[in-house]
Amino acid sequence: MLLQQILNGLTAGSVYALIALGYTMIYGILGLINFAQGEIYMAGAFATVLLLSAYKVNFFVAFLFGMGVAAVLGLILERLAFRPLRGSHPLVPLISAIGASIFLQSLALLLFGPADRAFPLQFEFAALDIAGVTVSTLQVAIFVTALFFMALLVVFVKYTKFGKAIMATALDQDTARLMGINVDRMIALTFLIGSALSGAAGIMMAIYYNTTYPRMGLLPGLKAFSAAVLGGVGNIPGAIVGGLLLGVAENLGAGYLSSGYKDAVAFAILIIVLLVRPKGLLGGRGH
Amino acid sequence: MTEYFLHIAIISALHIILALSLNLIIGYCGQVSLGHAAFYGLGAYTSALAAIHWQASFFLTLPLAGVVAALFGLGLGIPTLRLRDDYLAIVTLGFGIIVDLILLNLEVTGGPDGLVRIPPPQLAGVDFRNKFMYLLLVALVVAFTLGLIYRLVHSRHGRALKAIRDHEMTARVMGINAAAYKISIFTLAAGLAGLAGALYAHYITFINPESFGLHTSILVLTMVVLGGMGSILGSVVGAGVLTILPELFRRFADYQDLAYGAMLIALLIWRPQGLLGTGKISQKFSLAKNRAKKGN
Amino acid sequence: MLTLKSVHSYYGSLHVLKGVSLHVRAGEIVALLGANGAGKTTTLKTISGLLKPRTGQVEFQGEDISRLSAEAIVQRGIAHVPEGRRVFSTLTVAANLELGAFARRDHQAVKKDLQEIQERFPILRERARQPAGTLSGGEQQVLAMARALMARPKLLLLDEPSMGLAPRLVQQVFAIIRHLQATGTTILLIEQNARAALKVADRGYVMETGRISLDGTAAELMDHNEVKRAYLGKGYQEVWED
Ligand SMILES: Nc1ncnc2c1ncn2[C@@H]1O[C@H](COP(=O)(O)OP(=O)(O)OP(=O)(O)O)[C@@H](O)[C@H]1O
Ligand SMILES: [Mg+2]
Repeated sequence: MLLQQILNGLTAGSVYALIALGYTMIYGILGLINFAQGEIYMAGAFATVLLLSAYKVNFFVAFLFGMGVAAVLGLILERLAFRPLRGSHPLVPLISAIGASIFLQSLALLLFGPADRAFPLQFEFAALDIAGVTVSTLQVAIFVTALFFMALLVVFVKYTKFGKAIMATALDQDTARLMGINVDRMIALTFLIGSALSGAAGIMMAIYYNTTYPRMGLLPGLKAFSAAVLGGVGNIPGAIVGGLLLGVAENLGAGYLSSGYKDAVAFAILIIVLLVRPKGLLGGRGH
Repeated sequence: MTEYFLHIAIISALHIILALSLNLIIGYCGQVSLGHAAFYGLGAYTSALAAIHWQASFFLTLPLAGVVAALFGLGLGIPTLRLRDDYLAIVTLGFGIIVDLILLNLEVTGGPDGLVRIPPPQLAGVDFRNKFMYLLLVALVVAFTLGLIYRLVHSRHGRALKAIRDHEMTARVMGINAAAYKISIFTLAAGLAGLAGALYAHYITFINPESFGLHTSILVLTMVVLGGMGSILGSVVGAGVLTILPELFRRFADYQDLAYGAMLIALLIWRPQGLLGTGKISQKFSLAKNRAKKGN
Repeated sequence: MLTLKSVHSYYGSLHVLKGVSLHVRAGEIVALLGANGAGKTTTLKTISGLLKPRTGQVEFQGEDISRLSAEAIVQRGIAHVPEGRRVFSTLTVAANLELGAFARRDHQAVKKDLQEIQERFPILRERARQPAGTLSGGEQQVLAMARALMARPKLLLLDEPSMGLAPRLVQQVFAIIRHLQATGTTILLIEQNARAALKVADRGYVMETGRISLDGTAAELMDHNEVKRAYLGKGYQEVWED
């Protein structure tokens, strides 16, 4: 039972971690909580689902397409809703992000309707029995895929020129410019990466719960933000640890307390972290 | 027809209270609340439940609604406003979702159906089912809110708040407890929203969680931004405009949220001071602070 | 090589540079002296493009660079070591050095330069994997200068490189400056430590509240009563007597 909950939690948590990475990177570089992150997650899922229902394309192609749509949406958002507001009080881009979030959500509602959509592909998933605990191969696949993307991001940030330039920009924009780094481009790149990861997260959740709908991003967005705070906002390993912990905590809470309030666990954790350890487990960075 | 106009006037007045109180948070805490509708809802449910179960007089349940909402505000403000300046939005968003969850799940709140047969206020001889009388009552609370804000702005505390808003660091050095001030303002604003909720509940006489969700919080936020962040008159005008416009454009009801979202972004880019604001928040306050942060 | 023609710069509505004109010839070390708040740092920011002049021109090798972005100016061959070192504290020493060469495309040569710099400053090799923030103040200054050199600049702008350093380290920093000149790098140097600066410099300018109030060869300035009184008085002796 305990182990079962933990494993279920790790699956959801790995997805939260992917979204939390987007929050944390964007916060690190702009000092902005991108409220529309949940809608980008939703857009990634919709793009994949719509493509798969309209055309007979390969699943991996559809997956990449969904990530691509999410990434482009992130770029557009940065360009239209955030870049013109740079340099003003943090409240201003924050409200703009809220506006973007509500705009995208209602746009999806108008375009696609409120109904849930099932995932167009049927996968055959086996249930693995490991020491009395049942894990579906779907869970394993999601967890492994999420870890893969996280590893990719960490390698990118730590070992590539542009990854280091993003970190430098997050630390000190003026000095980054003195190195010849184009700060606008690094910010756009951050949005692109963060959004692509959120898109991937949305697609995986659309498969996991077999449902896609316009408001699907609201709760995962909030939870992922809590995860980012839990790990320390602006801190990349923190987002990963925070996401996994949050997923596990949420499932334990649902299993041992009450499943009706499962969604409240993330929020309770957010409040407790803010009270007890506002810098998060691994410490914040950036702004 | 007059009935209809009176109805619009009452709803406008309720929105004015909500917008004014949210504007207090924005103008003085430099923060935005996305749970304002939740405080509104807490007030509505508190007052309605007290009236239904204890047959308490509206003139007792109204202040009770304010106090309950304020207490929740205090509870949220303490962990949030002492820290970073940008967590309030997300914490209040979460709070709104939780309140919604609770209202939907509890038995006493009637779940998704909500509460019905909420008694209208009763006071010797006055019939508050008469819309004109109700409008007077709401107008009284609007006047109370305006008076309160006016007194606050022009008091010693108002000046301290302004100092915090414009130069938080300097204010701190001068020994002004910025966090305590922000928490007080947030508590007060939550309480005012609670009052509006009570007034709404006993006017409409049936309530359900739908009226107190994110949609309403965003609506109020758009009113404040449209009128001008930090401008009292702006909130009044913004609330009026955004209550009347949707009535005129009923056919486009489905596009409301879309319009609010687009409006928020467009206003911030092209007219950050809104209709009537001075641009304090979007320009001055802002740049000074950013510079301090970057430290060069 | 570098010419400023009556440059006016602002921070918002604050008028800071009020018509600054100066020039730096290839191969020179030019010192820019002045009291706190005179506008020295602002002058360097205007040259490197962090700040755009409202009027006036900044010419570098005959090209007007006053409208170029900071990134483009780095590519023209100007490297700016900012006041307070500003190393990327959570990135490793090696990453800081690599970022110095961000604008360069000649990857082989970058690798070679990295080798050379690490040989010249062994501390940067020893600490290559360490976060730059863990270095001492003097080591960070060396890193900041080495990072700028990774861009292979034709002109190096140094903003108070000796600030806050112990006397022995100040000497080390000036030794590096001399060495750079010997290898043909042109330098515009801001210093609080006026005597030390004039000792290495060929020429100098004195700034007062946004204007150049005095200029001349290093020797002339050293002898100038005004300079002696204002900038060569106290404070530096301890540094140069050991
Ligand atoms: N980012 C900024 N925003 C607004 N004003 C600034 C900014 N940076 C500097 N100033 C102002 O511009 C003037 C010149 O500053 P600058 O930093 O160029 O002086 P400086 O000569 O380098 O002084 P110091 O010796 O202290 O480094 C000062 O009055 C300063 O207060
Ligand atoms: Mg300076």
